[in-house]
Amino acid sequence: MMIHAEKCIGCGRCQPYCPTAAISYDGLKSKIDQDICYECSTCLRAAHCPVDAIGESPNVYDYPRALRRYFSDPSATHVATGIQGRGTEESKTNDATGRCGPNQVGIAVEIGRPTLGMSLLDIQKITRAIARAGVHKIEPHNPIHSMIADEATGDLKPEMLGERLLSAIIEIQVERDQLRSILRTIKEVAKEVDSVFCVDAFTVVGPGLAIPEEVLESIRAEGFTWRPNAKVNMGMGRAWE
Amino acid sequence: MTHSLHREGSLESLEREYVLFIYPARGFNYKGSAPKVRRMVELLYQAGPVNMIPTSLRRNMYSGVTPEEILESITVEGTRVYSVFNDREKLKKALILLKKADEGISIMVSGVTDRVREIAAELGIEPHMVNLSLGIHGRTDRLAPADIREFTTMCGHGVVSPHLVKDMLRRVKTGKVSEWDGSVLLAEPCTCGIYNPYRSSELLREKAPLYTVDRW
Repeated sequence: MMIHAEKCIGCGRCQPYCPTAAISYDGLKSKIDQDICYECSTCLRAAHCPVDAIGESPNVYDYPRALRRYFSDPSATHVATGIQGRGTEESKTNDATGRCGPNQVGIAVEIGRPTLGMSLLDIQKITRAIARAGVHKIEPHNPIHSMIADEATGDLKPEMLGERLLSAIIEIQVERDQLRSILRTIKEVAKEVDSVFCVDAFTVVGPGLAIPEEVLESIRAEGFTWRPNAKVNMGMGRAWE
Repeated sequence: MTHSLHREGSLESLEREYVLFIYPARGFNYKGSAPKVRRMVELLYQAGPVNMIPTSLRRNMYSGVTPEEILESITVEGTRVYSVFNDREKLKKALILLKKADEGISIMVSGVTDRVREIAAELGIEPHMVNLSLGIHGRTDRLAPADIREFTTMCGHGVVSPHLVKDMLRRVKTGKVSEWDGSVLLAEPCTCGIYNPYRSSELLREKAPLYTVDRW
């Protein structure tokens, strides 16, 4: 995003809207730091500049900078997946798709959340760690998959590494007996990154929303805890195509 | 997209809030989903959500858009719907109506697991899958303070800025904006419509006295 200096009246209204504090005064005008800007377009959509001084950067759709927009603006349709959003339908439609089976556990690493974002160099540390742990299949419908240069090593495409994203999701599936080792890997790589990520684990439940004890035990054993609030697929979807 | 999973706050506050998604599955029930989703949204309106957005019209309920405009926009196959309820009974009413309609489109509910389990049991619904939040990891020292995250994590995509929350606390504290109007402003950046302005309003009322103001 950019602020047209000839229009800006320096009211500062847009500044608090930026999730990453990329907007600050440059003299008497507001200016966006292009290195920090995630191209999420929140300032354009929500700040309601009184003089319409906010606009898109001229290079916002140039590759690889365009990645910032596709991952950071929740309303942007991702070129790799054709859908809005950083991840896939994951657990949300599993009752219709059956993508994650009863003996599997889905893991999502929500990069940069909440609100900090992350550099692609840090994301690569996570994809490499996951590959070293023996998981070479990142969910193919997830936009992160299209950024992988080498599934065996987890290396991302080198030309992307200078970019930053407000949020992205690495999604993998493992067998239940692999859950502990992948959680251990995630815990270790957390020490190497200069930002934050949230971790999710999704699993098919038993009657009465009974969470499999084997899954909970693996989570406990690796020193993780789960929050009291969760997302529940109510089991009301079905396939007809 | 797991943007409703990591909402932070007291258990008492979280227990009053439920996020409900309507989600067609690409390649499985996309075709013919638009009229079904539209009917499901009509049912949601009967239950009284406090915020809602279909992906066909990314404007929340406080943007001036009418229910008719929201319904009319749902013509695209695969349109998803995000909504929030701030009352257990209203969520229950929505689920009763959706279960009866039996449109076959996936429905997700984010909320305190024990409460969702109770509601499902009361309605004879057998949930299929749970997505657990295993917390935040890495440089947690760089995060905004926990009380600010109670606001910002209502938008899992991270576009409700911690700086905007602090600015709104300042504006509420100095009488420049009411808690409700401040919350509607905070809800605007969230293009998924799952920011709960009612809960936000309660939080602004609760937090404002705790902050000192250095810029009037």
